[in-house]
Amino acid sequence: MHCFSGEGYKIELDDTSNTVRMSGALRLGGLSEYAPISELLENALDGREALIIDLSALEFLNSSGIATLSKFVITARNRNDCRLAIQGSNAIAWQGKSLNNLKRLMPALELNFD
Amino acid sequence: MDTRVRQTDGASTDATRGIPFTASLTFRQAAVTLLIVAVLGLLAGMVELGADWKSMRAEIQEHTHRSLELVSGSAAEAAFQFNDELAGQVVDGLFAHREMEQVVLRDNFGGVIAERQRHDLAEPGALVQRLFGDITRYSVNLSHSVGGASASSVGALEVTLAPGEIGARFVERGLVIFVVGLAKAVIISALVVLIFFFMITRPLIGLHTAITRIDPTRPGHWPRPSFPRHEKDELGQIVTGLDNLMQAFQQGLEQRDRARDENMRLGAELDVSRRIQQILLPSRAELDAIEGLDIATHMEAAQEVGGDYYDILSHEDGVRIGIGDVTGHGLESGVVMLMTQSAVRTLLTSREKDMVRVMDVLNTTIYNNVQRMGCGKNLTLALLDYTMATAAELPAVAGHLRISGQHETVIIARHDGHMEVVDTDELGFPIGLVEEMAHFVGEISLDLHQGDVVVLYTDGITEAADEQHRLYGQDRLMEMIASHRAESAEFIKDAIINDVKRHIGNQTLYDDLTLVILKQK
Repeated sequence: MHCFSGEGYKIELDDTSNTVRMSGALRLGGLSEYAPISELLENALDGREALIIDLSALEFLNSSGIATLSKFVITARNRNDCRLAIQGSNAIAWQGKSLNNLKRLMPALELNFD
Repeated sequence: MDTRVRQTDGASTDATRGIPFTASLTFRQAAVTLLIVAVLGLLAGMVELGADWKSMRAEIQEHTHRSLELVSGSAAEAAFQFNDELAGQVVDGLFAHREMEQVVLRDNFGGVIAERQRHDLAEPGALVQRLFGDITRYSVNLSHSVGGASASSVGALEVTLAPGEIGARFVERGLVIFVVGLAKAVIISALVVLIFFFMITRPLIGLHTAITRIDPTRPGHWPRPSFPRHEKDELGQIVTGLDNLMQAFQQGLEQRDRARDENMRLGAELDVSRRIQQILLPSRAELDAIEGLDIATHMEAAQEVGGDYYDILSHEDGVRIGIGDVTGHGLESGVVMLMTQSAVRTLLTSREKDMVRVMDVLNTTIYNNVQRMGCGKNLTLALLDYTMATAAELPAVAGHLRISGQHETVIIARHDGHMEVVDTDELGFPIGLVEEMAHFVGEISLDLHQGDVVVLYTDGITEAADEQHRLYGQDRLMEMIASHRAESAEFIKDAIINDVKRHIGNQTLYDDLTLVILKQK
């Protein structure tokens, strides 16, 4: 299991359930600070048939984070070797519009809200 | 602050100068030591004197008895023979001692054979009488045996000692004991004070001086004293402890200063951001000059200035209206907003009418610049192209509106009270978020009739929260628009803004408020 954590957030890759769980509030300053997270996400696609990104406990993601996530979805779409699903939450305001935009970037993306 | 520093400095100087010598540690220590040693010395001297008194009494008694024993043979001989010459020699021998006040040799009939007495002696004091008065009288019986016959009493030898003489000797010895005791007290006090001075008092004074010289604005740079051979004792630890405390103070002060500087920097940045947001807004005169539309606008920056954007650009074919919201707050959001404004105007100047092309160029421009900035900022942006209806279309249709780009909804209140909501989610994509977005751009066209009201807003309006965190919401906004649609654009704008402000109450404004009202004339 790979794990990232910082002030107020946690990101973990669970190999058994093929899930990347992001939780807390991510407010890293700028795109470069998101590079390790970007790398973790893209590496998670390697050798997998399916990957779930679980954002249902991610209360806040700033614009650099959304940009990072968008880039990752485009990468997944272009590689076209791994099914991608994103789990969101209706209770979290920022996710509605942003996750729908991700779905538009990658129509094959499976988007679930709980 | 300067005043306070000066006052503190003054106080510390006063503290150093203000210690009178008699209140100083060294003086007080010397006085107390001297007193204690003197009292103890006096007590010891008195014990010594007491012992001396006892031994002196025993010595006098023994010495007198021995002297009497020594001469008793000769005295008996003189009494037996009535030998006045011998008697005189015996009595004189005893009287040679200065302590003798009186020496009497008697025969056994009570007659005096020989007598010596001093008359010039002073009357002894009561104390001397008490100390030695009971051991002044001695007498020994004189016996003589002739030819082995049993001894028979022939007289008595009596001596009386002079207590004054004995007392003088005693006082002399007492005086010596007192003087020696006093000298001891002074020497011991001096030694103790010296030892304490070099071991404790002098470093303490050094520490005291260093403490009074601490600059309250720079406690970390205090003149830390160094005491050789005290590194490991309590004094060394006090200095180390104080130094740690001073360094901690210094760090606290520096942190405070850094925070103040950072606050000032942020404050200055917010001022610049606020200025950027307002500097390129269309003027009232520009809006009044627009044909076909009655326009009212409101833009209010939040405490932390956000990245709201709106613009109304009049051109020969009509009016291009833009509204958007850059993510985040502060200078970077303001800069992205400024770039967007320039790019929108540039595309208008280049007469680009194809919305897909306009959005594509805008997106590429902003995306590349945001990549340079490394901040991942993006913005929602809706562009509306308004054209007046041709003469042929009048009066059924007064104007046309094309809407493109992803932003909040566009609310339209028709003159007959019918309300329409245009969802713009599918009309575009966040600008600057991804490299390529042209294929997401859509367009909606609608006709406007006289009295129709079009309302554009940013989420600062609908997401304005009251004290219970309830959002203002699109429904309440629509109710306000519906009930005031017959009024002027300015009136509708004021009514909505006042209602939003009422909703917010005393809460801080967390997001910019932007509202644009377009009313078809």
